[in-house]
Amino acid sequence: MSRSARPLTSARVLHKIKALTTPQSNEGFVVNRNPRNLERLRIAYKPSGYHLEKPGRSYWHTLEINTSGRYVSADVKHYENGVILSASTAEWAIKQQLYKTNDTSAFVNLGRVLAHRCLQSGITEMTCNVDAVAGSKLQKLLQTLQDNGVSFKEPTRLKNSQPWDAYRQEKPWEVSEQSIPATPLQTTATKSKQK
Amino acid sequence: MSFSNLLMKSGLNHGLRGTPATVVLISTRQGHRLRGKPPGVARTLEQRLREETVTDPEVVARINIGFPQLKESRSAQLKTRLEHLKMQRANKQLEQLARSQKLIIDLDKVQQTYVQTTGQHDLRLLADHYGIFEHLYGSAYFVPRVPLSISYELGGDTLTPVYNGNVIKPAEAAKTPLVSFDGQRDPITGKSAAGQDSYWTLLATNPDAHYTNPSAECLHWFIANIPNGRVSAGQVLAEYLPPFPPKGVGYQRMVFVLYKQQAAMDLSSYQLASSDYSNLEKRTFSTLEFYRQHQEQLTPAGLAFYQTNWDESLTEFYHDVLNLKEPVYEYDFPKPYLADQKFFPLKQPFNLYMDKHRDEKQLNKEYLQRKLAKSHPFDGPAKPLRFPNAHPIKDVPSWLKTEIRKQRLGTGRIQDY
Repeated sequence: MSRSARPLTSARVLHKIKALTTPQSNEGFVVNRNPRNLERLRIAYKPSGYHLEKPGRSYWHTLEINTSGRYVSADVKHYENGVILSASTAEWAIKQQLYKTNDTSAFVNLGRVLAHRCLQSGITEMTCNVDAVAGSKLQKLLQTLQDNGVSFKEPTRLKNSQPWDAYRQEKPWEVSEQSIPATPLQTTATKSKQK
Repeated sequence: MSFSNLLMKSGLNHGLRGTPATVVLISTRQGHRLRGKPPGVARTLEQRLREETVTDPEVVARINIGFPQLKESRSAQLKTRLEHLKMQRANKQLEQLARSQKLIIDLDKVQQTYVQTTGQHDLRLLADHYGIFEHLYGSAYFVPRVPLSISYELGGDTLTPVYNGNVIKPAEAAKTPLVSFDGQRDPITGKSAAGQDSYWTLLATNPDAHYTNPSAECLHWFIANIPNGRVSAGQVLAEYLPPFPPKGVGYQRMVFVLYKQQAAMDLSSYQLASSDYSNLEKRTFSTLEFYRQHQEQLTPAGLAFYQTNWDESLTEFYHDVLNLKEPVYEYDFPKPYLADQKFFPLKQPFNLYMDKHRDEKQLNKEYLQRKLAKSHPFDGPAKPLRFPNAHPIKDVPSWLKTEIRKQRLGTGRIQDY
């Protein structure tokens, strides 16, 4: 019985998929265990959510803002790990310098603090499903975040192009960084002597 | 037939006897059956996956190996805080600034208070997000109680600080970083314990750098017996080796962990000879193994990490320092799944279908031969047509027409050669 005449069973399909995804033993390979690496390279799985769902859940990181009667807090959420970064005007570190914890100044300063923490933790791209009225303090918070180096556009997932596809996608890791000068994260920090 | 589906008569006999007949109308949808359980009863994919990957909480329980924190009394804290807030509210100048939306708070001061209050727990969450504890300590974790300040010197007065996950290029991380922390500070009470001698150990490892063993780490820097936070006076067991992420591997993590020692320790068995500076085999390290051996004397107290990826400065580093040929990797995408080849594939373009199942080498050879046949040995390949679709293609079958058109436009397989 030839192979093509053999009935296709799920076991055979699974066997074929396993053979395709395991690396050949004669090929040299390394494993990068950094869980955030594939997200940075735009290869990692990203949930697509449901077609008519609002707000969508297609993101790696997203911004969430909660306002209460007295305080305002902004969190960065990961689709699997939940809240990973947060800042709130209820925090003593921020509150002690504010006049009021939910006025426009508080919103703007919260944006500055969260942007600073985002830059420190290397998470600068996230989606934002917050609807803000133009000119509102919420909108000013979002604007401050963007002005301080946080981008509300997350890149799309990079699909592997097959040989028979019409077009090839540019792979981000093949783009030469020669043209882009390496810039330090913080513009200039004052020099401190080692103790 | 269809009527019987719509109406189900019941109590017909009663009707004959004169009692009022009750007709129950049940509507059924023709040609539509509900597959699976009805909505509301059926579980979502998320619920099903959660049930399938259920874990025993006792098995996955994590252990805190760090220092506990002795909190000051809440009432005393509240007293000083409320007093401070009252003063803020009475401050006319501050009010004016806030009301005119010109109040800009000092971020350095925020950071200073943050690392001493809630910042420690937030850093622990972030380190979990980056998989630091999982890959260094397995099922253990710690809350970093001692704020570590690490920065790389660039030219001039510029510093590149190491925070928790920011990206630093290998060119910036080439020199030994400046490390400072408060060595007099007691991690438990958070107060200065001057007078007592304290010893510390600083370890910098990369959990993603090992070439042969994916579960091992590469040791980049090892300083033991740092007296009272004076890093320069510590015993250097392994000199600082800059990170060397190979091209194509992506972003690797460099993790700095600070341990507090009970007393001065003899860790000379970890001494790396200066001749072995670039010996990667000798720099193989396992933090978990190290911690297991010395957990009686060492307690992790501080954490900082950054991410780094390839840049041009590494080519020189590989050749001169590591004496290696520079490796280049590429992400290995899973190969596409192809169903078994059929004798009679219906509705499939025969040439594309055959190409999918042919030997890759033979295919490459043919494409290359066709390309080389068209290019002149001295003048190079023929010039591309200015208006590729304007030239008529005559007297060829339609599949070949498509192929020629694709060739002229440069779409499809032709891009790979």
